[in-house]
Amino acid sequence: MLLNFIVSIRICLFIFLAFVASPHLGAATPEEARKILADSAVEEDATKQIAFILKLAGVNDPVVQQGVTAWRQGGLFLYETNSLKQPFFLDTAAQTDGKARAIKVVDGKPIQGGDGKDLIVNVADFTPVDTNSKLRKALKTVLDLFALSDPNPKIRRDAVTKLGQEQNPEYLPYFEARVVLESDPESVRALTEAIAITKVATTTGADQIAAINELKRMTSITSLALLQEMEKAERKNPKLTPDAKKALGSAIFAIEEHIRRGNLVGTAFRGVSSAAVLLIAALGLAITFGLMGVINMAHGEVMTVGAYTAFMTQNLFAKWFGSSGTGFDMYFIAALLLSFFTGGIMGLVMERLVIRFLYKRPLESLLATWGVSLVLQQLFRQVFGSANVQVNSPSWMSGSFIVSDVLFAYNRLFVIGFGIATVIGTYLLLTKTSLGLQIRAVMQNRTMASCIGVRTDRINMLTFGFGSGLAGMAGACLSQIGNVGPGLGQLHIVDCFMVVVLGGVGNLVGTVMAAFGVGVTDQILQPWLGAVMGKICVLVGIILFLQWRPAGLFASRGRSLED
Amino acid sequence: MKNMFKSILAALAVTLVTLSTMAAETVKVGVLHSLSGTMAISETSLKDILLFTFDEINKSGGVLGKMIEPVVVDPASNWPLFAEKARQLLDKDKVSVVFGCWTSVSRKSVLPVFEQLNGLLFYPVQYEGEELSKNIFYTAESVNQQAVPAVDYMLGEGKKKFYLLGSDYVYPRTTNKILKQYLKSKGIPDEDIEEIYTPFGHTDYQTIVAAIKKFAAGGKATVISTLNGDTNVPFFKEFANAGLTSENCPVVSFSISEDEFRGLPAKELAGHLGCWTYFMSLKTAENAKFVGDFNTWLKEPKVTGVDYKVSGIDTKGRVTCSPMNLSRMGVYLWKQAVEKAGSFDVDKVRVALIGQKFKGPAGEVTMQDNHHLINNVFIGETLPTGQFKIVKALGPVAGEPFSSKFLTAGK
Repeated sequence: MLLNFIVSIRICLFIFLAFVASPHLGAATPEEARKILADSAVEEDATKQIAFILKLAGVNDPVVQQGVTAWRQGGLFLYETNSLKQPFFLDTAAQTDGKARAIKVVDGKPIQGGDGKDLIVNVADFTPVDTNSKLRKALKTVLDLFALSDPNPKIRRDAVTKLGQEQNPEYLPYFEARVVLESDPESVRALTEAIAITKVATTTGADQIAAINELKRMTSITSLALLQEMEKAERKNPKLTPDAKKALGSAIFAIEEHIRRGNLVGTAFRGVSSAAVLLIAALGLAITFGLMGVINMAHGEVMTVGAYTAFMTQNLFAKWFGSSGTGFDMYFIAALLLSFFTGGIMGLVMERLVIRFLYKRPLESLLATWGVSLVLQQLFRQVFGSANVQVNSPSWMSGSFIVSDVLFAYNRLFVIGFGIATVIGTYLLLTKTSLGLQIRAVMQNRTMASCIGVRTDRINMLTFGFGSGLAGMAGACLSQIGNVGPGLGQLHIVDCFMVVVLGGVGNLVGTVMAAFGVGVTDQILQPWLGAVMGKICVLVGIILFLQWRPAGLFASRGRSLED
Repeated sequence: MKNMFKSILAALAVTLVTLSTMAAETVKVGVLHSLSGTMAISETSLKDILLFTFDEINKSGGVLGKMIEPVVVDPASNWPLFAEKARQLLDKDKVSVVFGCWTSVSRKSVLPVFEQLNGLLFYPVQYEGEELSKNIFYTAESVNQQAVPAVDYMLGEGKKKFYLLGSDYVYPRTTNKILKQYLKSKGIPDEDIEEIYTPFGHTDYQTIVAAIKKFAAGGKATVISTLNGDTNVPFFKEFANAGLTSENCPVVSFSISEDEFRGLPAKELAGHLGCWTYFMSLKTAENAKFVGDFNTWLKEPKVTGVDYKVSGIDTKGRVTCSPMNLSRMGVYLWKQAVEKAGSFDVDKVRVALIGQKFKGPAGEVTMQDNHHLINNVFIGETLPTGQFKIVKALGPVAGEPFSSKFLTAGK
C-alpha cells in the first residue's frame, strides 16, 4: 500500500516536473522559432549562428524541423530580392529534375513570383547556405533533440544514446520530460541510461553515486568507456568521494563481467551457426562422397544451381506478389523445396551420364566431375552473367533480437534450425525407411546386396540424387548469408571436403561432429587471431589431426574403405 | 636500261610513301584491362569507356589528325601476364600510349616493362600511393584525395572511434597504415582505432560485426571499409541484421562505386557513404552529356574511323563511375599533350602533359608535375537506387602519392 502510494507520488512528481519543464522546452513558439531559424541563416557571424540554432532545440514545428534538416544537408538557400534575403528550402514532395517549389522558412509557405503564382526554382541556380563543421554539429544536436519525439522508436533510441554520450546537463530536462511520455520499453531504458550517464559526469555526492549504481544495475555497456575514462582521470587527479570511487570500481567490474559472459554466449552461438553452415553444405557430400565413395568435384556447382533456383523463385514471386509483403516473403520456403528438386535432378542427370560409368575408377571420376564443374561454371556465366545476382532476404529472416546484449540474428537461427532438421531428416531416411535400408545395404556390400535382389544400379542413382538434392537446398540456404554468383560452389567445396574427411568418410555422425568442431574453433580463434590467421590455424590443426588419425574422427567400415 | 631501273625505283618510292601515309592516318593505342578472370567484372567497364572515348575523339577529328586505333589485349586477371601483354603492346604493336591496370599488383607488375621500354601508362583506379614512375600518369585518386577527406568528414561529424576494415592485400593495408598515422595526428588515441582484415571471398562476418556493435555502443564510431567487391554482400547483410545502420554507425567504403553497386543488395547499403572524385549523379552539363552519350553509344558500340569491331558489350543497366570517368580524363589529357607537343614521342608528350587542364564531368582537372591530378572530391550517400546523393563537395584537392608529405603538411 505504502509502496503504491510512493509510486503514485513519483508519477505525480514526474508529471509535475514535465509541466514545469515544458515551458522551458518550448521557449519559442513555432512563429518565433521560424523567425530565429531565418535570422540565423542570414547571420554572418558563425558563433552567433550557433547560439541562434541551439535555441531551436525541442521546438515542435514541422517547418523548423524541415528547415534545419535541409540546412544540414546543404539544402537551405537564400532568395534575394531588393537586398532582402529570404531563406528557403525545396518542397521535397514535388521535385522534378532539381526544380521545385521554394518553401520560406519564415512561414512555411511557398515563395510567390510577381504573377502571384508559386515560384518554381532550379536548384542549380542557387548556392546553399554555408555550413562549417561546428555549425553542422549544432544542427545535428538540434536534429537529435527533435528526434527524441520521432514516431519511430529506433530513431528515438539512437538519438538518446548519442545525446547521452555528450554528458551535457542541458539535455537532462529533455530526457526527463521524454521518459515520462515514452511507451517503448527499450527507449525508456535508453533514456534512463542517458540520464544516468549525464548525471555521473555532472553531479557530485549522493546523486553521482546513485547514477553510478543505476548504470551498474543496468550493466550498461554504452557507459563503460566513459566510466573507465573517469577512473583513469581519478587516478591522476583524485576528486571523487571514497564512496563514489568504490561504486565506480564495482560498476566497472560488474559491466566488464557482463560483457565477458555475453561474449561467451555470443561466441558459442556464432560457433554453432558457422557449424550449421558447414554442416548444411557438407551433408550432401557426406552422402555422395562419404557413403558412396564418389569424389564429386561438381558438388559445389550443384549448390550453385540451388542458389540460382532461389534467385529465380524470388524473381517469380516478386512478379506475382510485388517485391515485399507476406506473399513475397514466402518465396524462400518454395525456393528451398524447389532447390531440392533442381539439385536432385541435376545429380540424377550427372549420375546417369557420367558417374555411373566411373564407380570403380575414383581417379577418373575426380577428373570427369572436375570437368563437369568447369562446364557448369561457364554455363552459369552464360545464363546469369558473370556478376553476382541479388537475392534479398525475406523480412522474417532479416534483423535480430537481443537478449541481455547478446545478438541473435534471425537468419542465423534459421540456418541452425534448418541444419538440425536436415540431419534428423537424413538420419530418419537412412534408418527408418526401406529405401534407407537398401542404401545402407548397397554401401556396405554391393555384391551381397545385389545377390539378395536389391537393384543396386537404381539405388546408386537415387542415393546420388538425394545427396545432390541436399546440396541444392544448401545452395538456397547459402543465398541468404553470402553471395550468389558462378563462383559460389568453388568457395565452399574445400570446406565441404574438409569437414567430410575430418569426420571420417562414410559416417554421418562424424560429419556432424567435424562441422561443429571446425565452426566453433574458428569462432573462438577469430577474435584473438583475426579472420586470416584463425582460418590458417584451423587448417593446420586439421592437417595435424589427420596425421594422427588418418581415418578421421569416426573411422567406419564402408565400401570406399574396402575397395 | 639505267632509266628503266630509275623509274622502277621511283615507282617503288612512291608506293612506299603512299603506304606509309596510309598507315600514318591512325595512331595505335593500347588497352590493358582484364576481360576474363576475377577482375573482369570491374575492368571490362573500363575497356568499354575507353572505346567510347576513342570513338568520341575520332568523331571530332582524332589526335593530330590521326584516328585512334585501339589495340585491346586481355591479361586475364593474371599478374605476370600483365607484364607480358604490356611488353607485347610496346614492342610488337608499337602503341603510343597504354591505358590500363586495376589492381595495384598488376600495376607493379607492368611498371618495370614501361620503364625499360620507355612506354606511357595511364592508371585510373584509386590506389595506395607511395609510388612514382616517370612512365606512369596516375589519374586515380591518391590516399589524400579519397581516404583522408573521408576521415576528415567523419571527424567533422563528431566521430571519435574508427574501425578500419579491409580485404587482406596491399591497397587496404597501406591505406590503413597511412590513415592510422593521420588519425593519431588528429588526436585519436590508439585504443579508439581498430584495424581488421579478412581474406578475399570471406563470408562469415558474425564475429566482426559483433565486435563492431560493441565498438559502436557509444554512437561515436564509424567503419572505414576497404573491403573488396563481393565480400561486401555478407558484410552488409550481417551489419544490417545486427541492427546497425548508417545513423548509429556509418560505413565509408572506398571500393564501392556505382559500377560495383550493380551486384550488391542496395537495400542494405542505403545511407552509407562513399568518397570519390566523380559521381554519376553530379549535376553538370558535361556530366549530363557524358552519361547521355555513353548510353547512346552502348546501343551501337563502334570506334569511328578505324577498322575495329567492338564486341562483348553488356548493355543492361549500365552506369558510369569514378574509375570510368578517370579513364576518360586520361585519354583527353594525353590527346591535349600530344597536340601541344606536336608529336607522339613519349619523351615529348611526358613533358607536355604537366600542367594540362581539362574540364570534365566533375569539374576541371589539372595534371601536376608529380604525375597526379588536382581533382574535385565529393562525399556521397548511397541511395536504394544504386546512385549516390552528394552530401558534400570538398573542392579541388591536389593529389600527393607520398604520405610522408601530406602527413607532415597537415601538422
